[in-house]
Amino acid sequence: MVSTIQQQEEISVGLKSKKFVVWLFVVSSTIMFGGWTSYYLVFMASKGKGHGLVLPEVFNYSTGVLLLSSVCLFLAARALKGGNRSRQRLFLWCTFALGIVFGVLQFQGWSSLYQTGAVLVNNNAAISMVYVVSGFHLLHIVAGLAFVMSSLAGSYKNVSQEVAEYRQDITSIFWHFIDILWIYLYVFLLLNS
Amino acid sequence: MSTISLHDTHHDDHGHGHHHETFLTKYVFSQDHKMIAKQFLITGIIMAVIAMLLSILFRIQLAWPDKTFPLLETFLGKWAEGGRIKPDFFLALVTIHGTIMVFFVLTAGLSGTFSNLLIPLQLGARDMASPFMNMLSYWFFLVACVIMMSSFFVQTGPASGGWTVYPPLSAVPKAMPGSGLGMTLWLVSMVIFVASSLMGSLNYVATILNMRTKGMDLWKMPLTIWAIFLTAVLGILSFPVLVSGVVLLIFDRSFGTSFYLSDLVFGTEILPNEGGSPILWQHLFWFLGHPEVYIVIMPALGISSEIISVNSRKPIFGYHAMVYSLIGITVLSFIVWGHHMFVTGMNPLLGGVFMITTLIIAVPSAVKTFNYLATLWRGNIRFTPAMLFAVGLVSFFISGGLTGIFLGNASLDINLHDTYFVVAHFHLVMGSAAIFGMLAGVYHWFPKMFGRMMNPKLAYLHFWVTFICAYLVFFPLHFLGLDGVPRRYYAFTEFEFMNKWLTVNTFVTWSAIVAALAQVAFLFNFFYSIFRGKKATQNPWEANTLEWTTPVERLHGNWPGEIPTVYRWPYDYSKPGAAEDFIPQTTPFSETMSSNLPHDFEGNEEAERIQKEWEATNKPVQQ
Repeated sequence: MVSTIQQQEEISVGLKSKKFVVWLFVVSSTIMFGGWTSYYLVFMASKGKGHGLVLPEVFNYSTGVLLLSSVCLFLAARALKGGNRSRQRLFLWCTFALGIVFGVLQFQGWSSLYQTGAVLVNNNAAISMVYVVSGFHLLHIVAGLAFVMSSLAGSYKNVSQEVAEYRQDITSIFWHFIDILWIYLYVFLLLNS
Repeated sequence: MSTISLHDTHHDDHGHGHHHETFLTKYVFSQDHKMIAKQFLITGIIMAVIAMLLSILFRIQLAWPDKTFPLLETFLGKWAEGGRIKPDFFLALVTIHGTIMVFFVLTAGLSGTFSNLLIPLQLGARDMASPFMNMLSYWFFLVACVIMMSSFFVQTGPASGGWTVYPPLSAVPKAMPGSGLGMTLWLVSMVIFVASSLMGSLNYVATILNMRTKGMDLWKMPLTIWAIFLTAVLGILSFPVLVSGVVLLIFDRSFGTSFYLSDLVFGTEILPNEGGSPILWQHLFWFLGHPEVYIVIMPALGISSEIISVNSRKPIFGYHAMVYSLIGITVLSFIVWGHHMFVTGMNPLLGGVFMITTLIIAVPSAVKTFNYLATLWRGNIRFTPAMLFAVGLVSFFISGGLTGIFLGNASLDINLHDTYFVVAHFHLVMGSAAIFGMLAGVYHWFPKMFGRMMNPKLAYLHFWVTFICAYLVFFPLHFLGLDGVPRRYYAFTEFEFMNKWLTVNTFVTWSAIVAALAQVAFLFNFFYSIFRGKKATQNPWEANTLEWTTPVERLHGNWPGEIPTVYRWPYDYSKPGAAEDFIPQTTPFSETMSSNLPHDFEGNEEAERIQKEWEATNKPVQQ
């Protein structure tokens, strides 16, 4: 039989590898969005036009909200490292709430785009692309919220410190990634109008 | 997808020995990498048989375009009214044949089987990084297969715009019957397939980088693992681009956007789409599509490296060169996609760049080929069935690779593009070669998977008939291509210049039928041997790698007790001075004092000193 120490070691290796899986997912997701932004660049270069819109102001607010949520998540991770689970939970809930607010703001952004006539089904593919990238980004937010929930669940169930930190870590990797991803997409769309 | 893997942190990867298995958890929703490998393999084999039957159907049409076969109508109904395959169905057949072979057999069937089987076994791990995700990867794959096959049961038939699904045929649902529901199912199936493939690849890379046993550094990994690793990296970097392309295609089809569509007139109706570019689909598709052909061939190359070395009883020639050439192929494969698009009106300068990068790929490919030949050279060759198939791979890789040099040339491609020359080229270099690699792997690791041996006589029959017939099928197609015969044409009788090739087509079809019959020998051998084959010994091929140190019986966790430690590289065959002609990776150098060489110690001075002392006292005869 394998000794307990060895088993413990194998669990740690397992957690480390799973964390690595999240990193790899970040890479492949980046490439998917890279595919769309490359499409956009080539489209713009060959047609001589971009989306040509003034992006709704509400996207500024949503960007701010998302940044704030990342700060909260950072504080949650720090609280966990300090062994303060109730503080971790508080900040995780903040992250979760801000994530929801971000989603609501994105919907508002789309509806104001829609009202100006810049609709999804458009003969300017660049405008359709604004919806595609922001829509798929929002899907990532939904997945991110699931990560936050799993961290929260771990915190309430009082899982071991190692497992709790593992859950917190992969939540952080993923959430900060989608934060940076949105900033990239937003700046990209602002610069290439 | 990663979220789900969170919930299984408690009970997987250390559950060996005290796991309660029911029929469902052992055979159906298994999280054991060996069982998942078998699931991938058997699903892959079934899909391969389906794709083969589809190819026989369209070969019959090509050989006898004017004949009627009432039997076809019995089976295919309105798709073969009057006993002749309809043009629309012919296009569906070639499309689905290509899709199944490239994605379902040679990507999932090949990588899925051997990555799952070999990564933990050859690296010394209990299981994959996330066994749960691994299971999901198989089930997503199966769902993708079922959806793809279900398109044969819709009224308008399966997708028929070719496996590359170029718009506008794929983007305008009413363009032709196959552009309707069949195309939608194709896209849905492909998105699920990519999810499956990504879950697999993420797992493979994470496992290889994090879960190797003690002593197994990267340069002690067998070449199979190197190949599988780089294949998975390719998948992670290229499949997401296919997703982004497919998403835009779905938007064009189902919501009316204009990503790929512009200026289309349909009958008398002008379509509203404007401003899109179908060429952009080709860019996004081939940015995946070209790495994809290396995703197909690299695991096969890795498998044959291992098998050729084991059965030549010689170390693989140029182990480092083999790894570096795999890395070279991996990197280069991302900057050659434009060679599929030379005739799309590409800037000639850009065409020139793609031509150069394409031709450079010949260098690492040639390095690999020569290394295979050098490994075989003066080896103590054992012609096991696996060995024959591995050598067959080398043969196809050479004869198909040579025509790649013609096709990679931007100016020659103007003539050869979209002709049977292309069909001949890729069916040899990635089709037959990869299938032979896969079959070699099946014959070689069958004892590991099922604890029994396959019948060698049937295997030899299978090999020779398949090998000869594959050449008889694909070699003549070069000449059709040189004469300018386009691929995917329904009836050669419709064009006068193609008439003279009808007899060749008949010959090719007969060869294909014989090759298909030979597969019966394999299928019988495979399924019969699972239950009735001769019991296998622990290390039937006398190989060095770790998987042969596990017990013959399937064991969750792979090794009872501790995982063995690795001391040496996997290719110590016929080492001068050694007692036997193979030294397993788990044998420490202290047990093989008579055969150790100075470079074995990688600069470890202490070990060198001990070796010298030993040699001074037990001086063997110097030659």
